[in-house]
Amino acid sequence: MKQRNTAKKVLSELILAVCTVVMLLPIYYFVIGAFKKRTDIIKYPLVLAKEMFTLENFPYVIKKMNYWKALGNTVFITLVSLLIVVICASLAGFAIARIRSRLFTGYYGLMVTLMVIPFIGCLLPLAVQSTRLGTYNTLWGCILIQAAWNMPFAVFLFTGFMRDLPKELEEAAYIDGCSTFGVYSRIFLPLLAPVTATCCIRCGVGIWNDYLVSRTLLNENKNPTLMVGIQGFFGARATEFGYAFCGIVLVSIPMVILFLCLQKYFIKGIAAGAVKG
Amino acid sequence: MSQTTSVQQKRKRTSLERDQFRSGLVFLLPSLILCAVFMLVPLIEVIRYSFTDWDGLSPDYNFVGLYNYLHLHQIEGFGEMMVATITFAIGTTLLTIVIAFVTALALDKKEKGRLPRGLMRSLWFFPALLSGSVVGILWRVMYNYNNGVINKILTGAGLSPVNWLETRGVTNIAIIVGAAWVQIGFCVVVFLAGLQSIPQDLYEAAAIDGATPRQQLKNITFPMMASSITINVITTTIAGFKAYELPYLISNGLPGKSTLLLTQRIFFFGFTANDYGRGSALSVLLLVIIALISLVQLVYLRRREDIYG
Repeated sequence: MKQRNTAKKVLSELILAVCTVVMLLPIYYFVIGAFKKRTDIIKYPLVLAKEMFTLENFPYVIKKMNYWKALGNTVFITLVSLLIVVICASLAGFAIARIRSRLFTGYYGLMVTLMVIPFIGCLLPLAVQSTRLGTYNTLWGCILIQAAWNMPFAVFLFTGFMRDLPKELEEAAYIDGCSTFGVYSRIFLPLLAPVTATCCIRCGVGIWNDYLVSRTLLNENKNPTLMVGIQGFFGARATEFGYAFCGIVLVSIPMVILFLCLQKYFIKGIAAGAVKG
Repeated sequence: MSQTTSVQQKRKRTSLERDQFRSGLVFLLPSLILCAVFMLVPLIEVIRYSFTDWDGLSPDYNFVGLYNYLHLHQIEGFGEMMVATITFAIGTTLLTIVIAFVTALALDKKEKGRLPRGLMRSLWFFPALLSGSVVGILWRVMYNYNNGVINKILTGAGLSPVNWLETRGVTNIAIIVGAAWVQIGFCVVVFLAGLQSIPQDLYEAAAIDGATPRQQLKNITFPMMASSITINVITTTIAGFKAYELPYLISNGLPGKSTLLLTQRIFFFGFTANDYGRGSALSVLLLVIIALISLVQLVYLRRREDIYG
C-alpha cells in the first residue's frame, strides 16, 4: 500500500514536471533564440551550442527600436500613471469607505460599473478627445488615459481595503479637531502600503504591457514605446527571428526583474485583487 | 444642563459630518474628473455615434436611428465573426480553467512534493507577465509552417507538420492556445489562494470517516472552490471577449476572415474603413455582451453570499 502511494507520488511529480517544462518551452525558445542567428534558430530550435552563441542581435535591436528612448517613455508613462491612480483612488476610497453618505455609495456603484467597459470600444472618441484637449501624440495624453481607465479598479481596491479597517481609527482624531484631510493623510495613508502594492502591481503590469493606447495615440518615431517598437521586427514576410526574439527579451526583462525581486507581493497582490474583483 | 450638552454635541456632530461630507466631495473630484473626461464622455459619444453614419473624419454626419443596429447582421461575415469571437472566448476559458485548476491542485502546499512549490508557482506565473504584443509575435513565430518550432518538434517526432495559421478551424485553436498560455498563471494564483482558504479539518474529518481522495475532491474541494472558479471563469471570459492584439498578431484574422474577432472589426471600422457609425454599433454590442456576463457574476456571487454569509 505504502509502496503504491510513493510510486503514485513520484508519477504525479513527474507529470507536473513535464507539464511545467512544456509550459515554459516557449520562454526557453525565445530566450536562447535571442543569442542565435536566424539560421541556427531554424535548424536547431531548442539548442544553444557554444559555436552558435552570438551577441550580434542586441546592438542592432537596441538601435533599430530606439530602445533607450522607448524604455524611458514606457517607464515614465507607467510611473506617472500609477502615481496619479494611487493618489486619486486612495482619496476617493477614503471618502467612500469612511464618510457616510448616499452620494458616495452611489459614486462607488458608478466606479464598479465603469470597470466593465471595454477599452477598445472607446478608442476613436478617445483619439478625438485627445485632439480636442491638445494631448494627442504626447506622453501626457497617454498617461491621463491610462490613469483614468485604471481608476475604477483602483478605487474599488482602496475602498475595500479601507472599509475593513477598524471604526475607532479616526474617531479620536476628529474629536481632537483634526481635519478630514489630516485624518486621511496622517492616519490612513501610512496604513495603505499593502493595498497600494496590490494596486501598483495589478495596474502597473497592464500599463507597462499596453499596446493599444500607445499604438493609437503616439507617433512611433516621435514617442516610441516598447510594446509598439517591438512590432518593427515583425515584417510582413521575412521575420528576422533572432531580432524579434532579442526584442522580446529586451522589452520583457524589466518586468521580469521586478517580478523576481517582488515575487511575494506579486502573487499576494494578484490573489487579493482577484478575490475582491 | 445635561440636555444642553447633548444638544451641543449633536450640533457639533452634524457640523462635523457636514464638514466631512464637503471634504469627501473634494476627495472624489480628481478621480471623477479623470473618469468623466476619458471614460464617460467617450462612452456617451460611442453610443451617440452608433445612431449616425459618421465616417470618423468629416465634420458632417446624419442621424440614422437604429439603422446600424438593424443591419449589423448584414456586415460581411458577421455570423462568422460572432462564431469566432464566442469560440475564442469560451475555448480560452475552458482550456485555461481546466489546466489552471489541475495545476493548482498539484501545486497546493498541502501536497508535499519533491519539487519546490514556491518556485513552481513562480514559474507558472511567468507567462502572465508578458505583454499581449510580445506573446502574439512569439506564438506567430512558433506556429510558422516551415520554420516554427512546433512543426520542427512534430516532424522530429515523425508526425506530419500542421499548417497552424492557414487551416480553417486549426487557426481558431492556435489563437486559443496562445491566449490561454498567458491567462493560466493568473488563474493558478487565484485557485491556490482559494485552496489555501479551505480549512484543513474538513479533509481530516472526511479521512477519518473513510472518504477516498476522489470523494474528498468532489465533496469538499469543488464546493469550497466554487467562488474561485466563478471568478476565474468570468474574468477569463471577459478577457476573451476584450482580447485584441494577441489573437490579431498571431493570426491576423486569417485564413479568410475565420479568426477575425469582434474587437478587431471594431478597430477596422473605426480606423481603417472609416465607417465609424457601424464600428460604434459593434462597440455597443461588445459592451452589452460584457455587461451581461458581469451581471451573471454579480447575481451569482450575491446568491452565494446569501447562502454562506
